[in-house]
Amino acid sequence: MSATLSTTNDLGLAMAAQRQRRIKTFDLVGLFATIATVIAAILWAFPLYWGVVTSLKPEAEVVRAGVQLLPAHWPLDSYTYALFDTKIGVWYINSLTTSLATTLIVVIMSAGAGYAISQLNFPGRRILWWMILASFMVPIQALIVNHFILFSQFHLINTLTAVVGPQLLAPVTVIIYKQFFDSVPKDFREAAVVDGAHEFQLLFRIYLPMNWGITTALAIITFIGAWNNFLWPFLAVTEEDKMNITVGITQVSDAFGVKYARDLATAILAGLPVAVVYLIFQRRVTQAIMLSAGIKG
Amino acid sequence: MHHVELRDVNKRFGTFDAIKHLSLGIEKGQFCALLGPSGCGKSTLLRMIAGLEEVTSGDIFINGENVTDTPPAKRKIAMVFQSYALYPHMTVKQNIGFSLSIAHAPKEFAEKRIAEVAKMLQLEQLLDRKPAQLSGGQRQRVAIGRSLVREPEVFLFDEPLSNLDAMLRVQMRLELAKLHKDLDSTMIYVTHDQVEAMTLADKIVVLDSGEISQVGTPLELYNNPANRFVASFIGSPGMNFLPVTASSMDGLNATLGLNGGTGIIVQTKTPLGKSIPTDGLEMGLRPEHIHVTSPDDGSANLKGNVAIVEQLGNSTILYVDTDAGQFVVEEDGAIGTKSGDNVGLVLDRKNIHVFGAGGLTI
Repeated sequence: MSATLSTTNDLGLAMAAQRQRRIKTFDLVGLFATIATVIAAILWAFPLYWGVVTSLKPEAEVVRAGVQLLPAHWPLDSYTYALFDTKIGVWYINSLTTSLATTLIVVIMSAGAGYAISQLNFPGRRILWWMILASFMVPIQALIVNHFILFSQFHLINTLTAVVGPQLLAPVTVIIYKQFFDSVPKDFREAAVVDGAHEFQLLFRIYLPMNWGITTALAIITFIGAWNNFLWPFLAVTEEDKMNITVGITQVSDAFGVKYARDLATAILAGLPVAVVYLIFQRRVTQAIMLSAGIKG
Repeated sequence: MHHVELRDVNKRFGTFDAIKHLSLGIEKGQFCALLGPSGCGKSTLLRMIAGLEEVTSGDIFINGENVTDTPPAKRKIAMVFQSYALYPHMTVKQNIGFSLSIAHAPKEFAEKRIAEVAKMLQLEQLLDRKPAQLSGGQRQRVAIGRSLVREPEVFLFDEPLSNLDAMLRVQMRLELAKLHKDLDSTMIYVTHDQVEAMTLADKIVVLDSGEISQVGTPLELYNNPANRFVASFIGSPGMNFLPVTASSMDGLNATLGLNGGTGIIVQTKTPLGKSIPTDGLEMGLRPEHIHVTSPDDGSANLKGNVAIVEQLGNSTILYVDTDAGQFVVEEDGAIGTKSGDNVGLVLDRKNIHVFGAGGLTI
């Protein structure tokens, strides 16, 4: 009997101690941080949610007074309009063409430039490197008038070439490649030189394949940047057939006033491919952002 | 005609002379080791032979052809690097066949050649693996395979075993020796490890501050060092060096006096006292040429006290303090001498080396 009592007492004491430990380890700062993060996430996501919901509403519901968190009807009119009554297909193709071209050329050019500055000895190498670093500090907006005049003089305005051209200035990717190539032990280069490799073989068969991660990350971030670019394509192209998706959506207007659902539906369709690319290559995109953040820091 | 010849070769980095007017000939099929401490210029010299480092002045000949300005790939050489330099994104097969692939060799020929090399180095089972999946020794073999596949005139090795652990190093040393025997190719091997140089090479070139200190076979360097530097660099444990005074000079015979010791009559290579000053003389004696005896033994040249005893099994290393200085003595493994014992030391006078003030052997 006494043995049973003693066991019960022990159990009670153990449970009390455990409760005490739980109270002690209760992280008040952590709780506040979690609540603050959740609030920040809601504030960040709400406009996205509101955009999607609005695009699904009939126009009459959009302009009705009051907050309506979910549509009463789901007519999807704005999406059918954006897909079948605009030139969104052409704009998609234009965006895809210019973004892929920009990505391909930027990656090849930057890898080549980064390799040359990192590995080759030629007169003016240091000056070239400083110029690339300096160009990194000039915002693209400061050059946009010059670009326009230049492309205009070459009669390239309203062409896809004009859209791609100025986007090829990508000093960050050159800097990232240069830093990576600098970090490759010189034995690899020398072993390949002894084996008879020339510079192109060194770049494309040794240096680049050694870390495809960097190239993939830079390609994805360049692609997303080119797809989302608005200002320059907006200035360089005025013909609807040559427009990118970001510029094209500005054409979805109506003579009888603003159609919010329609505009938002087109905007969502415009951003969808990039969102998908981001979701698929999330890790690589983060890696690229960290690489470029390292450069900026 | 030498297979590899360096004529008055000089290499300058800024104001620093890494290689100072060096001339050297290496015969066909010879295994030549470039030996020296860090910074002596041995790797620079090898890289100059490979064509990876420009020659400031002088000429390099391979098989009678002046290759001083020839690119590395056309010198008919192959090089194995200290880090192995295996391309991490390629398989063993691709690594071995890289030189053939960039030379656009026919696929069948490349496959056959890779298979031959893989068989020779027992790499057949590893051909589809990446370097990261290999052990140190396997990586080393792949690096050698990559050089073998090119069928070069000359193999260059830049401290290829320094990244391996002690046991593997011994194993790979044997494999390299076997490879040299099988191929009968000219091999130039850079190392700072005198054991590697002594065991592998037919000819050792000892370098000091960009200059050749001595060239010779391993035993020549060991038994007849040209100077104090070579004497100190070759042999483990190192040679004992002690200041001595010379008296009773008679032709090539001189009596050397040690502090607290009996006079030792030695034979020098050059008569002392005439052209060679007797100031600043040093005596050099290898640890195995000193024997421990009883302190009362009349044949003992010196008396001393044992400071430290290191038992290595097959031998025992004794550190003996004497009035002349500390002696390192290598004795039989079974010797019963203990730390703190008083002992007598008998110096083997036939193996005493005498060095002048400038460090040259007299």
